[in-house]
Amino acid sequence: MGYVAVTGGQKAIEAANRLNQWYRIKDAEHSLETTEIAKQLRHLTDRVMSEGGLYAPEYAALAIKQAEGDLCEAAFLMRAYRSTLERNYESEVIDPGQMRVIRRISSAFKDIPGGQMLGPTMDYTHRLLNFALENENAQALKNLLKEQIPELNADQPLSFPKVAGLLREQGLLFPPKSSGVLFDITRDKLTFPAPRSAKLQILARGETGAMTALAYSSMRGHITNHPTIGELRVGYTELTIAYPLDSNESLCLGEIMLTEIETINAFERDDQGDVKLRLGYGLTFGQNETKAIAMAILEQGLETKGSIPSQDEEFVLLHVDSIEANGFVSHLKLPHYITFQSKLDVLRQTQKIAESEKKEMRKE
Amino acid sequence: MLMNKQQLSRIMSACSLPLLEEITYKIEQEQKVQVEREPQTSLVMTKTKDSVSSQPFYLGEVLVTECTASVHGQFGIGIVVGRKPIRAYCMAVIDAAHNAGLPLLDQYGSQFHAEEQRIQETHALEYARNAQSQVHFNTMEEYNDKR
Repeated sequence: MGYVAVTGGQKAIEAANRLNQWYRIKDAEHSLETTEIAKQLRHLTDRVMSEGGLYAPEYAALAIKQAEGDLCEAAFLMRAYRSTLERNYESEVIDPGQMRVIRRISSAFKDIPGGQMLGPTMDYTHRLLNFALENENAQALKNLLKEQIPELNADQPLSFPKVAGLLREQGLLFPPKSSGVLFDITRDKLTFPAPRSAKLQILARGETGAMTALAYSSMRGHITNHPTIGELRVGYTELTIAYPLDSNESLCLGEIMLTEIETINAFERDDQGDVKLRLGYGLTFGQNETKAIAMAILEQGLETKGSIPSQDEEFVLLHVDSIEANGFVSHLKLPHYITFQSKLDVLRQTQKIAESEKKEMRKE
Repeated sequence: MLMNKQQLSRIMSACSLPLLEEITYKIEQEQKVQVEREPQTSLVMTKTKDSVSSQPFYLGEVLVTECTASVHGQFGIGIVVGRKPIRAYCMAVIDAAHNAGLPLLDQYGSQFHAEEQRIQETHALEYARNAQSQVHFNTMEEYNDKR
């Protein structure tokens, strides 16, 4: 049987695109403002920025609107958009230790320098639907919260030393190890074993659900992989670059929000036989706490040898990317007429051969 | 105006836009200002370091708006996080004027310092608001004693 390649469907595709618009807007009283998405759906925006690998809250909000809330599609739009832009600068090294924190907790120590600050979190809220939000008066609520003006302490530092730094000073942590080259997965072809910088970059823009599932599998199946959060901090960090006209000077471009996690993992012996703690590290754009914790668990799993799936470098790093995973699974929706016809041909041919063999056997 | 580039750009990236527009307008009135590169969005790759290895890695890219302008042949650069073409343009013109050593900017020194103060107060207020959620731990014995 010969194959016939087909074309067409352009009008149908155009109509489908129009239907997208229709179903997005047909029951709406007004079009969603992207600023509303960016300002009031913070976690959604942060997640899309993090998985898209592009810090741009306004554009993440636009992508969410365009994708009608499909996060993978929104992250894909962000990734596609970034590929159209020039990258002219690389930042100076950001130190999250200098972060202007809005939230900082430790599950390992009750007393940390500067104290624990819950900040904006849903960790301690009841999981009950708040029907009052249906008729919320935003301005009235804002005014009420504004009235609750806290006491200002002008001498209060806005950044704090890291908890891990204190443990390191006491000689309780493995010393930092050299990790080789600074790899950029957006420019260089990834090979295995991957350098540490590549692993961290992949995890930093990995898909939250995939990373959480893998980290959960690691903790649930293997009790020794249960880390303790030495410190979780969320806050603003300055983005600086070398001044293009004089590299001895720096330019501050503004602030970006980050979530940083340091987990304290298992005790291990170092080369001298001393027992020390091993750290796990997670850092993401925006306030993405579960993802950052999962990142710390996975990166630490990849640093240790073992047989569980989350310790398999290729398995983890090649499957946590939202765009790649979503793209590959959803491509199944596209026409596969030729490959499927080919499969049918093979099946029919096989049946024909089997039939003739049966006939031969009957004759004998 | 005794400010280094970092301090000046830190203020200009967050201060009131009307102030930047006012200064830029004055410079445009008094000097020959030329746009060398129109404001356009581009990317800055964020480099950070993890505390386990103390080695750098790339976290991801940040959308910025950048612009290049010149004042009397002296170049200036404005780069700011986000899509902010007007701010980037004003920052470039003021930076060029700063590089050209224009006395005009000295007139605005006190206003820049006032803006810096206002930004710091905003940060302090945000911190204080969040600090209301600071946890004050008690042991169970202390807790029961208080009841």
